[in-house]
Amino acid sequence: MQFNLDEDRALLKQSTRELLESESPLTDARAIMEDSSEGYDKALYANLAELGYMGLAVPEEEGGSGVGAIGLVAVLEELGRAAFPGPFLDMAMAAEVLRGVKEPEGAEWLRRLVAGEALVLIANSESLSGDEPIEPNTHFEDGRVTGSKHFVPFGAQADAMLVSTDAGLVVVPKPDAGWNADLLEALDHAQRLASIDFDASCTQLTDSGTAATLLESAHQLGALGAAALMLGLMERTLEMTLSYTMERQAFGAPIATFQVLQHRQADMFIHTESTRAAVYRAAWAADHDPDSASRLIAVAKAAAGDAGRWVAGQSIQLHGGVGYTWEYDPHIYLKRIKTLEQFYGTTRSQLEKVLQAARI
Amino acid sequence: MDLQFTPQHEKFRSEVRGWIDANLERRWTEELRDPANGENELVEVRRSWQAKLNEAGYLGMDWPEEWGGRGATVVEKAIFLEESLRADSPPIPNFLGIGLLGPALIHHGTEDQRRRFIPKMLSGEEIWCQGFSEPAAGSDLASLRCRAEPDGEDWRITGQKVWTTFGPWADWIFVLARTDMDDRHGGISFFLVPLDQEGCDVRPLLQISGESEFGEVFFDGALAKGEHLVGKIGEGWRIAMTVLSYERGASALTDPARNDVFLADLVEGLRENGTLHLPDVREKLARLFVQNEVIRANGYRTLATLASGSAPGPESSIEKLLWSEYAQKQSETALELLGPRAHLRLRSPLARTEMDWAREFLWDRAGTIYSGSSEIQRNIISKRVLNLPTS
Ligand SMILES: Cc1cc2nc3c(=O)[nH]c(=O)nc-3n(C[C@H](O)[C@H](O)[C@H](O)COP(=O)(O)OP(=O)(O)OC[C@H]3O[C@@H](n4cnc5c(N)ncnc54)[C@H](O)[C@@H]3O)c2cc1C
Repeated sequence: MQFNLDEDRALLKQSTRELLESESPLTDARAIMEDSSEGYDKALYANLAELGYMGLAVPEEEGGSGVGAIGLVAVLEELGRAAFPGPFLDMAMAAEVLRGVKEPEGAEWLRRLVAGEALVLIANSESLSGDEPIEPNTHFEDGRVTGSKHFVPFGAQADAMLVSTDAGLVVVPKPDAGWNADLLEALDHAQRLASIDFDASCTQLTDSGTAATLLESAHQLGALGAAALMLGLMERTLEMTLSYTMERQAFGAPIATFQVLQHRQADMFIHTESTRAAVYRAAWAADHDPDSASRLIAVAKAAAGDAGRWVAGQSIQLHGGVGYTWEYDPHIYLKRIKTLEQFYGTTRSQLEKVLQAARI
Repeated sequence: MDLQFTPQHEKFRSEVRGWIDANLERRWTEELRDPANGENELVEVRRSWQAKLNEAGYLGMDWPEEWGGRGATVVEKAIFLEESLRADSPPIPNFLGIGLLGPALIHHGTEDQRRRFIPKMLSGEEIWCQGFSEPAAGSDLASLRCRAEPDGEDWRITGQKVWTTFGPWADWIFVLARTDMDDRHGGISFFLVPLDQEGCDVRPLLQISGESEFGEVFFDGALAKGEHLVGKIGEGWRIAMTVLSYERGASALTDPARNDVFLADLVEGLRENGTLHLPDVREKLARLFVQNEVIRANGYRTLATLASGSAPGPESSIEKLLWSEYAQKQSETALELLGPRAHLRLRSPLARTEMDWAREFLWDRAGTIYSGSSEIQRNIISKRVLNLPTS
């Protein structure tokens, strides 16, 4: 038994951290989130693609880096720490769908996605309440797709979208006139959510049955990835809070000397470390124990969401007034975590999965 | 990363399972339910189960062979404990002897002490209790006042110990006592004292559950033989602080396994009540399942780290907080969701047959107090792990 990463993945994790520290320090990342229209650094994404980051969980035979769920999680933990902006996880989910597509178009889009030539995203959500209809209302007929999809992260920037329709999955390349997109203003300004109205030509990739299976496996990867991002976000949140409470003076002493704040931070640590155990166990299952993967991923996602939300909230609390200012960083982490908790599989749906896996 | 048990581990697991199947006559829950079993009878059930385990070589598994060990790894020990719980077998009565004193003697005792005490400790012929806490020294253990004065080669112990688990059934007690009234830590020594003597008075204490699993021990010049000092004079504190760490990891999977049994009962009860489909019930239930899996994941992490020969990391410092606080939530949730019937004690008319949730609810209050309270655990994490400053 061994909990630590093997040498290759540990190296990948370490080099990811170094890369992000030099190429995406938080000040730069914040400038991109706050000021750029794309919401991510295209040049850096291209650079990452060249290094093989866009196909981490795609097996080598299929043109990816083949580091498995464990490697992907290790990288996402680092991206979380850095509050790295952009559709990184969304692309990994699209890649997961494309891997399962038999049509040659699928392989070609996968190649372009992995090479960093195209931003390919999934457009699936149709409901505003989070309860998706069992059958998509988006309609496919005669090579055209019509309908609306909501909450597509970075949707307006996509080069192509994988859209779920009543006939299965279709791929919609960006129309010449551009997407008919509404940019949504969300809690997390880094997320660049869009609603897209489709009336465009497209190619069918799968039938409905296959679409459901592929989306399920993409959502599973998304849930695991979101949990890993939250782990990294929590880690960094705790570090920021520790250093702030050691610096900040009140009543003639660093506030970190107050026992109530020591215990609060001990609890932040407990939440973070127990999330780490759950996330890596789930990643291990995704690679090596397919029978329990879906259950353990649901566990990790639900646990990370509950833990992360609490840790991020406490970070703002322990920063006091400055924690409520735009200038300080804790709110970036709070918003990212809250977004990841809500999207990529709600806690409610993960809890239900956990019970159903136990036949309850 | 590798969270899989090896084929040898799996083989060991099926051996243990087979052995328990063949040897366990009645599940512990059934023993508890049997009206013929008073507290004393239950101790005897536990004692005879311990004797069987010992004959089969399942106790002190990781100790050196000459002391009944079998060179087992921490993983095998964890598997054994997990299977014991899964099978609902009785808890051994000498858990304090085997869990704490045994390792202390192996690491700090003399050859004669090991020869004299370990075999009977393992067989259950001599039950041990732990005499650390005093009325005015619990969390602040180093302020203990119980003292040991030299009497020729021997020692005379005077003072009071309290909340002494298994005191009412124990034959021996291991005691921290002052050999120097001024040196706070260096003035504490570690003694082995027989309870059946003049100068020792053990009184049961009634607990909130109505049981008396612990008691008070009064020493009035009780005799501790010179050869029953463990380590050197003044080493008691150090020994006491290290014994706990020898046990680390072995119980990594036991709590989740125990919780599995509880959760299965809770689900069963909700089925009987016809409330398992209600959304609020499902949410609360699912959160317990999630948290229990988080604890298990943490346990795997501890175990895997130890098995790969590394020192346990942060996961081991959070283990106690995780299981003890989870247990409270679990029994609170059960009492809430199962309805009034869950308040009925095991042998009450109308009681559900399996679990005594009311008893668990009360017992779970203790877990956050003994073995270092939750507050002390958080102090340890913030000081030793997070390095937060003291004012
Ligand atoms: C079921 C049970 C079995 C036990 N079995 C044994 C046994 O076999 N042998 C034995 O020696 N002892 C035993 N104990 C005693 C146990 O170890 C002590 O109760 C425990 O160490 C707490 O000490 P105390 O009771 O004096 O509480 P106190 O130390 O007085 O604590 C009271 C409260 O104050 C908090 N507190 C104390 N210090 C601090 C601090 N520095 N910072 C923040 N909060 C603090 C505590 O967390 C607690 O909430 C047992 C206790 C129980 C409940």
